[in-house]
Parts: sequence; C-alpha cells; structure tokens
Amino acid sequence: MPLVRSTMAANNNGSQAASTSKENPLSISWHDSAWIPMLSPANVLDYFSERTNPFYDKSCNNEIIKMQRLSPEQLNNMTGVEYILLHAQEPILYVVRKQHRHSQQQVTPLADYYIIAGVVYQAPDLYSVLNSRLLTSLHNIQSAFDEALSYSRYHPSNGYWWEFKDKEDKKREDKSNSQGSKKKPEEMSSAFQRQRVDMLLGELADKFPPKFAQPKRGDQPVPVEEDRKPGEQAAQVKEEKSEDTPNQNHSSSGSRSNQSMQPPEKRMKLSKQS
Amino acid sequence: MMGHILCSGKIKMAADRSKRYQKIDFLGEGQFATVYKAKDTKTGQIVAVKKIKLGQRAEAKDGINRTALREIKLLQELSHTNIIGLYDVFGHKSNISLVFDFMDTDMEVVTKDTSIVMTGPHIKAYAIMTLEGLEYLHNNWILHRDLKPNNLLVNSQGILKITDFGLAKTFGSPNRVYTHQVVTRWYRAPELLYGARIYGTGVDMWAVGCILAELLLRVPFLPGDSDIDQLSKIFQALGTPSEDTWPGMKSLPDYIEYKQFPGTPLKDIFTAAADDLISLLGKLLCLNPSQRYNCSQALQMPYFSNKPGPTPNPQLPLPSGTSAEILMEDHKVKVGVKRKLPADSDPTLKKKLVF
Repeated sequence: MPLVRSTMAANNNGSQAASTSKENPLSISWHDSAWIPMLSPANVLDYFSERTNPFYDKSCNNEIIKMQRLSPEQLNNMTGVEYILLHAQEPILYVVRKQHRHSQQQVTPLADYYIIAGVVYQAPDLYSVLNSRLLTSLHNIQSAFDEALSYSRYHPSNGYWWEFKDKEDKKREDKSNSQGSKKKPEEMSSAFQRQRVDMLLGELADKFPPKFAQPKRGDQPVPVEEDRKPGEQAAQVKEEKSEDTPNQNHSSSGSRSNQSMQPPEKRMKLSKQS
Repeated sequence: MMGHILCSGKIKMAADRSKRYQKIDFLGEGQFATVYKAKDTKTGQIVAVKKIKLGQRAEAKDGINRTALREIKLLQELSHTNIIGLYDVFGHKSNISLVFDFMDTDMEVVTKDTSIVMTGPHIKAYAIMTLEGLEYLHNNWILHRDLKPNNLLVNSQGILKITDFGLAKTFGSPNRVYTHQVVTRWYRAPELLYGARIYGTGVDMWAVGCILAELLLRVPFLPGDSDIDQLSKIFQALGTPSEDTWPGMKSLPDYIEYKQFPGTPLKDIFTAAADDLISLLGKLLCLNPSQRYNCSQALQMPYFSNKPGPTPNPQLPLPSGTSAEILMEDHKVKVGVKRKLPADSDPTLKKKLVF
C-alpha cells in the first residue's frame, strides 16, 4: 500500500491542473469536504456514490438498487458492475472495490479505490506503477546526464576534462554577494527607507542587546555595537560590515564551503542573539 | 367504422356456450364486473371470464353498462400481441360475459414486488411492448385514456397486454369534444388537469411516461392527492411551463397560475437511468402536448436500438417465484382484499359457473 500511495501522490502532483479531465483516472482525485468529518464504514459507499465523484459509474447495480429503493442485499442476485466496501481502517482509510458480478458466488474485480482522509483515489495497476516509476527514474538519470554533460570540456591538445567553472563563478559570486547584494538593494532604496530601517534596527538592538560570545572574533563586535548606538551614520556602519565579511572568510578557511553559502553578516548576528 | 356489437347468431348460441367455460378460480372484482379464471372445455385453454354486473335499475333500462359496451365494441375489432384478446362474448339470462386472454399478473404487482430488481433491459422490454400495443391502438384511431400499471397485464410468458378499454374512445374527428375526467390522476396529463376538452394521443403518451418513471423508481412518480396537487407535483418535478414553452396553455378552461418551479433535471431524479432512456422520458413527459412524442416517434428513438437489448419475454421477472401456479396463489391473496363474497357461499367449493 505505501508503495502504491506514493506513486499516486506523484501522479497527483504531476497533473493537479488536469484534475477535471476524465482521461486518466489514475491522475485525478476527488473529495467532498462536507462529507469528510462524518465518514464511517456505514456511509462511505454513499459518499462514494455522490453524483460528482468521477470514479462512480452511475449505471452500476448499486445505483439501480438505490433508485428503486430496494434492499442492498439484492445486489447479490444481480449481475453486472457493483461497488463494495473491501476494507475499512477507521477513521482514515477505506478501500472500495469495483467488480463485475457474474453470479451469486462469482465476481471479477475491476478496480480498487482508496479513500484516505476523505480523498478518493484510484489504486493504480502494477503496469501503471512500474511504468510511472521507470519513467521517473529514467527522467532523473537523463537530467543528471544532461547536467554532467554541460561540464565536460574538450580540447584537441588537452583531451577531455571537467570544468565546473560556472559553479565556481557562482560560488565566488555568492562570496562576493555579501558585498554585491548589499550594494544593489541600497541603490534601489531611498534615503528615507535607509534611515527608517537603521532606526528600526537601532531600536531592535536596544531592546535586545546583542551578546558577544564569539571566541575567535571576540573583539570585532565591539566596534559594531559602538557604531550602532549612534545609528545615524548608516554608511559608516555598512562599510565596516563589508570589511568584516572577507575577514571572517579568511580567518575560518576550514569551513570555507559552508561560509560561502552563509547569509550575510547582519542576519548571522541576529540569529546568534536568540 | 365499428361493426355491430354482437351478431344475432352469437346471442342464440350463447346459452350453449355459457357451459363451455368452467370456473376455476375467482380473480377479482371491479366496479362493473367480476373476473373469474376459467377453462375453455372445448379447447382446454385457460381464459379469464369477465362477468358484467347488472347496474342500477336506471342504468339497466338503457341496456348494458356503457364501459362494457365500449370494451366489446372496440376489442372485437382489435388484434395485436400487446392488446388483450377478446375471444368470446355471450349473454345468459340478463348477464353479459366477456372471455379474455388469461393473464397472470399486472405491472402494478410487478413494480410493488421488492424481490424483483428492474434492470435496464427489463424496462426496455416493457416499454417496447407498451408502446407497440399503444401504437397499434393509436393507428386505429383509438385513445385508451386510462393507462396505468394495473391496466398493463403480464402473463407467465412475459407478454405484456394492454387491457381495460372501459374509457377508450375513438378520436380524430376535428371538432369532437371529450370529457377531461379521464385517466387515473397520477397518470393524467397536464392538459387534462387544465380541463382541455380537445386532446389527442398525448394523454396516453404522458401516462406511458409516468409508468416508465414508476418502473424506474418503483413508486408512483407523481402521486398527487388532488387535481391541484397533481399539477403542482408535475411542475415541481418538470418545471412550471410558460406561454413560451406551451403556447395556448393559458386559454385552457381550468387554467390557473402556478408558482414558478425551476424543475429538477430528469437525470437527477432517475439517477441510474442511461442517457438514452432519460431523453425518451423527456419526450414523453413533455408538458406541451403538441411537442410530446407519439408512439411511432418514441419507438424510433435511439434508446430502443442502443445496447443493451430488451430482455427476451420468457426471462422477464414474475412476482414471487417463476411458476405460474405459485403466482396465481399470490395474486389471489392480493386481489382477495377487494373480493366480496356472499356470506353463504363456500369458497372451497368449486362450482360450475352459471352465467
């Protein structure tokens, strides 16, 4: 069951937009939120036979019995398509089976439907599961190859080699981001905004005075705090910070790759406050 | 158009023939007649003998009962698989008796038997037989005017026959005025309820629509408890008509304004019915009689050529067991409610009928 379920979820995500199309019952789901709180083994078939449920075939024997107000036991005397409650695991899971009845004893299953937390899905057949799984894996392998191919380089004199230049460039950009990204927003913001943000930051810093317990960079925060308390000359603060960042990077070269991904200094400090 | 009711020769021979039919069983009693199951001693065939009651003295003065007269007059000239066969008419003393096909049950009993599941092919078979019988009547310019489930008899071979021509009448004369007090209310078409005096085959078609609906639902589709209520039930189900959908409606004698009901789509009422059956019902239960389909049009609809085909007659369900004998016992009990026997008669004693 879990295997099946995950496949369905994948299918579902894949075509949520097309949930109204009747083409592939495996890629759709149905639910009626009004019913969900009161689902029970006694009424789950009634829920399933709601008019809007795309999985329910209205020409089935169940509907004939219902329309003619006959007792449900009559189903066993009929031949044709019928639905039964196959399994109930209250309150979360119900399995409904669609089957073709040939006689009182003989039935052929046609499809299973499972209702998890009120949402109805059709259980896929083995073919669809394997098909879907193989397709997904092949797609991922294909993407990996495509990605890898984009890093291979060739030169007649050197032969083949890998070049992850793009990535390295990106990493460098990330590192220099602390400078670049800070400057870019500044260009876009107005003087008023800048002052306003600095004021807010100042207030915040007063309310929650930063604690400095960094063994390595113990003396650095002090000037920052001093700078902040005046708080009016924002440009100075920022200059100092931009100086800080490369320093840190150099000081802790062991964790270089980590740091390249770290957020800018300002946020790092805030997180350390808490 | 119709011939003589009875030729004089028949009457002379009647006395001999009254002994020909041997009573087997009491079947039921209606307003104007008592029906017995009898055996034709000449052919060995089982028949139903309907003995017309002598009416009130005032009525009797005019001769025999009018409904019986209609029945004799019309049925003598009709012959169709799905119309009840009238084999013989004879008089004895002052009574008149009619000899019919013996039929095991009727559609009312079938619909009310909850051990029967009415499947699509069953309904199609009944619909075809009803419409073919009615088409034959309409082609011969006869309106039945009292179609309802218990006037559709079914025998043990699964053949359906239309019976009870007590209200039937010829139609087709352009200026002929008829009474609108016909057809049992639940099966009465809206134009009759609005008091129309000039009408046509539409009144029978409407009744067929109601009967089909009843086969699907297993309860009467529009059980009004008064004429006013009947119309409001019709409009609640099918939507109130307007002068656009039914031109001339407002000039009918008994027209009254009804609240505007939007109506329910037929496929929401008959949830398990296939789309082709829904469209047939839509044409039969059309409020405007001039747009209602007639039998021939109805029989041409895709429903009757689409799969699944109708159930072969012998496989049609019979109430409470397939054997006709068991069925007869059952039927007897059911009609027994209505039966009125003289206090001194012994029901166990089988006697020869004196007609």
